[in-house]
Amino acid sequence: MSADTPESDTRLNEEKAREQLIELAAEFYDQFDHGDIPEMTLPTRTKSNIVFDEEAGVWVYGDRTSTRSANSVRGARKLLKAVYAVEFLAQQLEENRSSTLRELYYLSESWDSEEAQFSTQDESNQLIEDLEIVSGVTREDFHMRPEESGAKVMGPLKIREQTRRGDREIHCQEDVGQGGYQIPNNPDTIEFLDNDAEFVLCVETGGMRDRLVENGFDVDYDSIVVHLGGQPARATRRLTKRLHDELDLPVVVFCDGDPWSYRIFGSVAYGSIKSAHLSEYLATPEAKYVGIRPQDIVDYDLPTDPLSDSDVNALESELEDPRFQTDFWTEQIELQLDIEKKAEQQALAAQGLDFVTDTYLPERLGEMGVL
Amino acid sequence: MTSFQSQLGEDQGIADELAEGQREISIAEFFEKNKHMLGFDSGARGLVTAVKEAVDNALDACEEAGIRPDIYVEIREVGDYYRLIVEDNGPGITKAQLPKVFGKLLYGSRFHAREQSRGQQGIGISAAVLYSQLTSGKPAKITSRPKGEADAQYFELIIDTDTNEPEIKAERTTSWDRSHGTRIEVEMEANMRARQQLHDYIKHTAVVNPHARLELREPGLDAPLKFERGTDQLPAETEEIRPHPHGVELGTLIKMLEATESYSVSGFLQEEFTRVGRKTADKVVDNFRDRHFGRELGWSADEEPVTAALTDAVSNKGAAATGFFAEEVASTLASRERTSYSELVGIVDNVAEAAEDEYGTRFGATVRENAVAAAWAAMTAFDADEDVDELTDDLYPLVDEATSTRKDDAVVAGMAERLARRFAADDERTRATHKRLQALVDEAADDTEEFDDATFGDTARENVVEALWSRMVTVPDDVPKVREAAERRDTASELLEAMRETDILAPPTDCLAPITSELVEAGLRKEFDADFYAAATRDAEVHGGDPFIVEAGIAYGGELDEGGQVDLLRFANRVPLVYQRGACATTDVVKRIGWRNYGLDQPGGSGMPNGPAVIMIHVASTNVPFTSESKDALANIPAIEDEIELAVREAARELKSYLNKRRSMQKRREKQDVLGRILPEMADKVAEVTGRERPNIDAALARIMNNVGIERERDGDTVRLIVENHSDRNEAPDVTDIVSVEPTDVPEEATVVDLDGEWFVKWNPTVAAGEEAVLEYTVAGDAEFDVNVDGIETEKLTVNA
Repeated sequence: MSADTPESDTRLNEEKAREQLIELAAEFYDQFDHGDIPEMTLPTRTKSNIVFDEEAGVWVYGDRTSTRSANSVRGARKLLKAVYAVEFLAQQLEENRSSTLRELYYLSESWDSEEAQFSTQDESNQLIEDLEIVSGVTREDFHMRPEESGAKVMGPLKIREQTRRGDREIHCQEDVGQGGYQIPNNPDTIEFLDNDAEFVLCVETGGMRDRLVENGFDVDYDSIVVHLGGQPARATRRLTKRLHDELDLPVVVFCDGDPWSYRIFGSVAYGSIKSAHLSEYLATPEAKYVGIRPQDIVDYDLPTDPLSDSDVNALESELEDPRFQTDFWTEQIELQLDIEKKAEQQALAAQGLDFVTDTYLPERLGEMGVL
Repeated sequence: MTSFQSQLGEDQGIADELAEGQREISIAEFFEKNKHMLGFDSGARGLVTAVKEAVDNALDACEEAGIRPDIYVEIREVGDYYRLIVEDNGPGITKAQLPKVFGKLLYGSRFHAREQSRGQQGIGISAAVLYSQLTSGKPAKITSRPKGEADAQYFELIIDTDTNEPEIKAERTTSWDRSHGTRIEVEMEANMRARQQLHDYIKHTAVVNPHARLELREPGLDAPLKFERGTDQLPAETEEIRPHPHGVELGTLIKMLEATESYSVSGFLQEEFTRVGRKTADKVVDNFRDRHFGRELGWSADEEPVTAALTDAVSNKGAAATGFFAEEVASTLASRERTSYSELVGIVDNVAEAAEDEYGTRFGATVRENAVAAAWAAMTAFDADEDVDELTDDLYPLVDEATSTRKDDAVVAGMAERLARRFAADDERTRATHKRLQALVDEAADDTEEFDDATFGDTARENVVEALWSRMVTVPDDVPKVREAAERRDTASELLEAMRETDILAPPTDCLAPITSELVEAGLRKEFDADFYAAATRDAEVHGGDPFIVEAGIAYGGELDEGGQVDLLRFANRVPLVYQRGACATTDVVKRIGWRNYGLDQPGGSGMPNGPAVIMIHVASTNVPFTSESKDALANIPAIEDEIELAVREAARELKSYLNKRRSMQKRREKQDVLGRILPEMADKVAEVTGRERPNIDAALARIMNNVGIERERDGDTVRLIVENHSDRNEAPDVTDIVSVEPTDVPEEATVVDLDGEWFVKWNPTVAAGEEAVLEYTVAGDAEFDVNVDGIETEKLTVNA
């Protein structure tokens, strides 16, 4: 997607998305017409079916597929819902409107077929992902967005964003408040104009982001601080990737020291299992993990919590996860299972509020060769 | 001392006084006081019991005469009393018998017969008469018209409870519109609180007697309850059988011994019992001998000493003859492993006769006796003091064989020696019954334990007894005659044991008339509106010499009551059992079965199952073991319970496969219902989105449901009927295509029938799983088609033609 003619490009994308959706409906039509059982084949979306794409350096779905078929009542319901969703999305694109995933869920209540209505939002979210995969069109191009993005950027970066109210030029330190620049749902509407940044620092928790901003870390070290806000939204991951690819900035990720946070890093760097079909578009394989590492718990003698049973299970499952099959992760996860402890980012405050910005991050980033 | 005398005198006075009050009690009087024993414990129950007894009698009478029963039961309120009328179309009762049948307890034809019948004791109907006269004071009114007679007899009678004899109050000849039959009318104090049981009894009677027509009128019914015949087939006629040797008890046996005209036991056995012929009788008699006389243990013989002893014993017969005789006997004995006393007698007789022939010298009885005594003495010489012992060596291998290898040789030798001493002292001919043998072995073993400081346990003792007993031989003595056995209880008891011991063929079953599984099912079908019926009849089995057959049936679904426990119908010899369900063996068996396995709900996994089902169990036997005289519940006899369980399980297995199939059909229906809703909606939507016409989804649906799809294609005048089999097995639908215009070019595999301007094209292809079959024919011009498909469940069929 070129930044030069975003307007026409977007229209083209929309048209293609619409065609793809209708193509899917037509496939069902033909299956009925031939007396075949309507079905839709998708890659199996489990961790056992993701493979490393050497070329792109990301994890994508493997060869295993599952079939949603009208052969069973369950499958037939899913296909019915898919067709209804296709109709809705096609119409939305035609009218150049957009809606949120949650709106789709509620909107289904108004559909004339009770069988087509969604029973949970997970169901509608999953269906949109299914449609992305079979149509090869991203959710953003369907004009579907999550309820809230939540993610914000702060740093020496100047951008131009296309909004419904015209283009805006924004400097992500000077033109924004304490909260930073809010990433839009479709970050491909952003054009990078200028930057003085040295690297991108993705931070898991809001508290730590605020601490870094308050301590002037972004200014002192010329870093673009990206708030992940837990499992990062696609827009956040897409923006991070663009910052890396287009501006050639190194990306580091700073999270809690527990198995769930490693998964956050995993989805930034390698792509998530649920959206492995978009890994090439969302993942930043060059991203590096700053901490908190189990090693840090030992080295800095951080205050800790004991591992719960579910933590242990998650760690063990990560040992099996193909995305974590590196020496670094094997070593760290085994160490953590050994010490049976986990620590939050905020645990660094035990050594003073400035410890993270004055000591920990400079030390770690130095070790990693970013600073 | 005088005071003693007077006390004694007083005692005698009391005994006299007591004697004055003592008198015989008539059976009628006894039951007058013990009505409950016969099922007349309350007014409600009394009425049901009276109906039951009268109807049972009526059915028995009809069947015996080969008449299809037509029975009419009426209950009327008459002032404070209820009047019960039961009429049948049976053969009638002769004028002479009638008063006794109804007016005398324990009078009947059934008690002594080993044959399946409803009534057994001859108490029932006369007890009803007794009960009515006790409560209402009114006589029973009986009309009977024997088959072939012009007039009917009318009696009014009561039972004289002092004498248990009928007392006729009125008697006259009357006319009756039935050509033959019997009618009884009794009035009794009663109530209709047991209406449900009464209805159950009649209805259940109809279930197990599908050949009978029943009608019930009672005050609570607006219209009479009528149960029509389900079959014209009468139950198979039963043969009366003699008792089976395994089924008699000592008292009965003694009575039979006293009554028989046979002289010998063998003759008695063959004459009086079923399944006993010459061979079986011989076996029994041998067993009887063993018990009565005991068996004899034989011993080995050394040729030289026996020859010497025999030579000494025979005098004046000449050297040659004596020598021949002695050597011949001794060599025969020596060649045998062991010889018992009786066998020795036989050998001596044989050789003596041979010697007589050879030498012309007479070997008389005395000589022979002397010879036997001498040879026997030589063979069995035993004198511990003199160190003479011919016995121990013969016993040692037997004891050794019977005891475990861990026994010390000295212990085995000691045991053998002690046994030898006891045999020497016990009986000259070393003869012993099994019991006596046990005693001998026990004594010897006790001594062995005491003196040899060894253990000689029960198993070892038993083994020794069996080892000896199996070597001992039956004696040829004549068994006691029947007269002796009848006189001596012990002898009779020995005979009974011998009879029980002997393997004898199970009794014949033609004395039984099972309903048969077809008619059990027909009976259930007739009285219960259900979806499913199953029935099973087991082969005959024997308990205590009485053969029995168990049958079970199950009805399920339909109009049967959904909630609560299943209905259990119990029958014995075709008589419904309505009271004491909880005490009945059938109930216990049903509760024991794990019904969840058979698809019925059973809270807690045991107990009565729940669901819309009727389980019926019928036990037919020449002697149904009831828990009491009122015949309400079957006793818990393991042999019968086992058969009940097998019969019920057999029927339940069919129920299970039916329920499984029903469930899978139900699932299929539900799936088809839901898909039948979803897929059209989906088709509509894809048509809308793609802007095309609605696609036809029938083929896809048929494929999804693994159904058999029938489709019609028409191309000009050519009509094609296509059968697509999407199921996983062969299907053979019966397709009938009804066409309004005459079809032509119909291939050979189909037939065309012209019916009043409509043509029926009949075609039944067999289509393999996943295949299709096509029928092509030609119809000129406009035509209407109507296809009809049989041979495939509607759930599995998608017709689009």
